Amino acid sequence: MKVYDGSQAEGATEPEPEQRKVGIAEYEVATDGAVLTTSGLGSCVGVALHDPHSGVGGLVHVMMPSADEVDGGDPAKFADTGTELIVEEVTAAGADPDQLVAKLAGGSDMLDFSESGGGIGERNAAVVRETLAALDVPITAEDIGGDHGRSLRLESRTGDLVVKSAKQGVERL
Amino acid sequence: MKVDVQSLGTFNDLAHEGAQQATGSLAQMTGMEAEVEVTKISLVDRADVGEELGNDRYVGVSFDFEGALAGETVLAFDEPSKETITEALVPGDEADEAMARSSVEEIGNIMMSGFIDGWADYLGATIDHSPPTYIERTGPDVLPAPPAGTERDHIFVFRSQVEWVDETICFYIYMLPEYDSLTGLLGEHADAESDAIPIEKLETFNRMTRSGTQTAADNLGMMAGVDVEAEVTRISFAPIEDVPKQVGTETYVGTVVEFTGLPSGFLLVLFDEPSAINVAEALMPVDPDGEGLTDQHTAAIEELGNIMTSGFVDGWANVLQQSVEHTPPRLVHDMGRAIIDPLAAQLGQHQRHAFIIDSRMQTESLAFESEILALPNEAELRQALQELQVDRADQTEADVEQIF
Repeated sequence: MKVYDGSQAEGATEPEPEQRKVGIAEYEVATDGAVLTTSGLGSCVGVALHDPHSGVGGLVHVMMPSADEVDGGDPAKFADTGTELIVEEVTAAGADPDQLVAKLAGGSDMLDFSESGGGIGERNAAVVRETLAALDVPITAEDIGGDHGRSLRLESRTGDLVVKSAKQGVERL
Repeated sequence: MKVDVQSLGTFNDLAHEGAQQATGSLAQMTGMEAEVEVTKISLVDRADVGEELGNDRYVGVSFDFEGALAGETVLAFDEPSKETITEALVPGDEADEAMARSSVEEIGNIMMSGFIDGWADYLGATIDHSPPTYIERTGPDVLPAPPAGTERDHIFVFRSQVEWVDETICFYIYMLPEYDSLTGLLGEHADAESDAIPIEKLETFNRMTRSGTQTAADNLGMMAGVDVEAEVTRISFAPIEDVPKQVGTETYVGTVVEFTGLPSGFLLVLFDEPSAINVAEALMPVDPDGEGLTDQHTAAIEELGNIMTSGFVDGWANVLQQSVEHTPPRLVHDMGRAIIDPLAAQLGQHQRHAFIIDSRMQTESLAFESEILALPNEAELRQALQELQVDRADQTEADVEQIF
């Protein structure tokens, strides 16, 4: 995991914000207005956090509902531990936990084959919501479900979450 | 020689950490951030090694190593990466070819020392490596000749793909260990012999998959009236979260089925969008009604996916002597990774790593590429391979044509 504090920013003219990729089961925290992106969410859920006062933002790309159900793995892989982790990390990077708001996208139910315990997208989203509620982080916007993939772009300066999908075009949350 | 899933997982993690360490050295020297995208171990026909490098021009460094593990390893940068690195190390316009070369050598040396030391640390043993050799070649030629000294047609390849953060360029780390050296180590690190899969069976299975792919390709060829060749078949092993990265972020069209039996899992037949349009039009009796990918195109792809799936699955069932049933195909048309991630997540409920069986096909006369991807339940595949009788394996080996 990396924290970008902007100490390497150069020049007086307003630079293009840096862009950071967030892979599956990974997260990033930005304190310098960087744009955090993640692509190809199917049943995965992207949890974007933002504190409008400190400008700290964070994005985690979780894949499966609960760490308890599976043996081992990176905490960022699961909806429960991943959500806890990103709240912890943005707070550690200077976000005020009382100011944090969350936006969610993903959790599509495409390719749910019932025999293998489908509904993973829906369950991912439900676990994220429960975890955020337990941590008192309000959800201000979400684009969940449907049967299409999404790519996300968190503009950490403003907290805008731009959701792009092949079928629904671009939506700004 | 047997290989168990535990040690494959450990070795995969080790290669991934090594690649991360190497990438970290790069960031330290140049200030450029890069991410290790995928690390996987593949068992691949030696003729197919490095096929993903295409016809691009690469520069890099290669090393021989020996000791606890022996073989060769290569760090290969594509041309734009070379320029980026040179620019970072020697800013300004005056960097000439010699400087570019020494930049690559310097970076390569530091990165790969980190990579090899990581392995030695883990193994608690010494691995010596030669000084770096600078190389500049096209496509797979940048890789060392697959290790000699064995009659085998399959070799193990560790491959990490590293991308710069701006996504436009990437580089690769390949490690081609000598077969006996690696399998010896895998054996030593195996947890329970009873869980292990004989490597010969994996190889047989890979060959059978190739035949299954050829059947699927023939079905496609018959419908489209062209010859289609199965290009590459390989079995890879990767962490579940890396499974969706098997395909790019671009849009794909194809079909997905769930298959049941031993093993159960998912099978995808995917075309990139331009390929889907070309292939579908080759199948259509009349010109389509609209521009781009129309409903007529997707209907043709759905039918094609069905036929290719049957060809592939039937071939598999024959080898495994198991009945393999599958659901009706579902048409998919979306971002590649978004198609695969629900499937990976479903598998991920029971396993941390996944076997990925990956076949590609293409033809000279029609501009298209197609990929068949099978994601079997790991424990069930293991069981199926264990039950695969050796005499049966021999028989299928000699009798591929008849079986498929």
